[in-house]
Amino acid sequence: MRRATLRPLAAAVGVTLALASLAEAQQAPPAWKQGQPAELANSPLSPVPLPPTPTPANQIPLDRVKLPPGFKISVWADGLHNARQMARGDKGTLFVGTRVAGNVYAVVDRGGRREVKVIAKGLSQPSGVAFRDGALFVAEIPRLLKYENIEAHLDSPPAPKVVYEYPKDAHHNWRFLLWGPDGKLYFNMGAPCNICMPPDTHANISRINPDGTGFEYFARGVRNGTGADFHPVTKELYFVSHGRDWMGDDIPNDTLHHAPRPGLHFGYPYCHQGDIVDPDFGGGHSCSEFAPPLLKLGPHVAPIGTRFYTGNLFPPQYRNRLFIAQKGSWNRSERIGYRVMTVELKPGQPPKYEVFADGFHEGDKVLGRPTHIEWMPDGSMLVSDDYHGAIYHITYAR
Amino acid sequence: MLAGAPAQAADLEAGRRLAEPCARCHGADGNTTLPGTPSLAGQPAWFTHWALIKFRDGRRKDPLMSPFAANLSDADMAGLAAYYAALPPRPRPQAVDAAKAAAGQRLAVSNQCTSCHRGDLSGQHQVPRLAGQDIEYLRRMLRAYKEGTAGDLEGLMTIAAQPLTETDIESLAYYLASLTPAP
Repeated sequence: MRRATLRPLAAAVGVTLALASLAEAQQAPPAWKQGQPAELANSPLSPVPLPPTPTPANQIPLDRVKLPPGFKISVWADGLHNARQMARGDKGTLFVGTRVAGNVYAVVDRGGRREVKVIAKGLSQPSGVAFRDGALFVAEIPRLLKYENIEAHLDSPPAPKVVYEYPKDAHHNWRFLLWGPDGKLYFNMGAPCNICMPPDTHANISRINPDGTGFEYFARGVRNGTGADFHPVTKELYFVSHGRDWMGDDIPNDTLHHAPRPGLHFGYPYCHQGDIVDPDFGGGHSCSEFAPPLLKLGPHVAPIGTRFYTGNLFPPQYRNRLFIAQKGSWNRSERIGYRVMTVELKPGQPPKYEVFADGFHEGDKVLGRPTHIEWMPDGSMLVSDDYHGAIYHITYAR
Repeated sequence: MLAGAPAQAADLEAGRRLAEPCARCHGADGNTTLPGTPSLAGQPAWFTHWALIKFRDGRRKDPLMSPFAANLSDADMAGLAAYYAALPPRPRPQAVDAAKAAAGQRLAVSNQCTSCHRGDLSGQHQVPRLAGQDIEYLRRMLRAYKEGTAGDLEGLMTIAAQPLTETDIESLAYYLASLTPAP
């Protein structure tokens, strides 16, 4: 940690100074500045602030979004402030988590018109949602909640059961939820910092039984694993992670990882993107000690929603392809990300990384922030935008 | 863009009407001398809006503000926030201990308060103006962040407040209260 800088002091405060110095030595910068080297102390870069209200559909500039031929994008639902992960109920309700908005939404499709209901509010960054056997699971920072028989109670949701209590550290601990082929619920527990030696409880992807028992770490050394999916054929885990900040515009890359078995360590905080030893924490380590990333996704692109396509609507070449929504950069002089990419994974071949939906920024101006992905029963795609508080619908017609 | 766009005259007028019951505590021009009550004049609109959201959804609790915010719509909140943002902030007459304020200034530097609250501590976006705010309110909010009862949005202030001692909180409150609010 950097030493605090003391200003010249008035003589009158000598005793207070001695006491204050002790306290000041313990101070840390704001979480988003942590790890910023002294030479970047005056950097104008800072996270993109979130407006306090969602953007009405008719003010979202989707006409700027470029898609491959035959694909179309439209606003499917608006008014979902800070919309993050989505999960579909058995009866067709779309549940939507949020971060700082603190809400969980239910979207009911009423024949072309979508009714948006707030089913929980005032939670602590309830980003992750998952549905099974009639129950909605919501991961907020401190707790995993379960709302039973939720689709019968959308207008008066019952008090949730607390299934599991997470560590309370907020930074990088807004979560995704993902059902594994083993019937367990997978989630991320990010590093509570930009760059630090994380406690054993953090910087991982973990899993638990749906009743809250059997907690296990699955993948270690994961700084901020914001999205994941299991391959439709191999049933193996793929996940994305955000690289550290304040090492410059072009390093390190955010990354796609493959975790075919539990227990692998993916490098954080010692090694980034498989080949950069951390300047502060990498001493005595080599990147060869850790599982390398499958693919470098670009620096600061902020990958989040990570889902394999298994539908039949998109052209056949998209089947089993991985879609990655990239919310876009802040810790970079020129914006990057703000798009949806695809990755084709074929045995024995390097991953093929292609643009799918682009144009969610114009120079420095943020036009949208694609965040999470969900599939419609007909094989079309939903993408949430946590900046505008909207859900987009991407369809295909030949 | 959009939510950050300059307030329209109609929004300001709607906000002014909605703010009539607020004047008794927060002052007719958004500047108050009532101890423990924040001045709202010149607060960034997003900050006031987020504060009302937090009172509405229960993340922040207050015997007066919680019931007031309970039935406000997003548009009401936007109008109130725009109205107060447009009012000029004035200094509050309050007794400030110079030695404590000096210690508070050093803490403000070492905690890098200005990296979010701006160099003149006038706030921006969702981050509040602190310069010239009520000392008792500042003290109470810093304690609330430390205790986790302030309804912190992203957890940044909760993290920042953890190492603060009661003496640090006192010093910071004196320092921030002593500043003349820039327009």
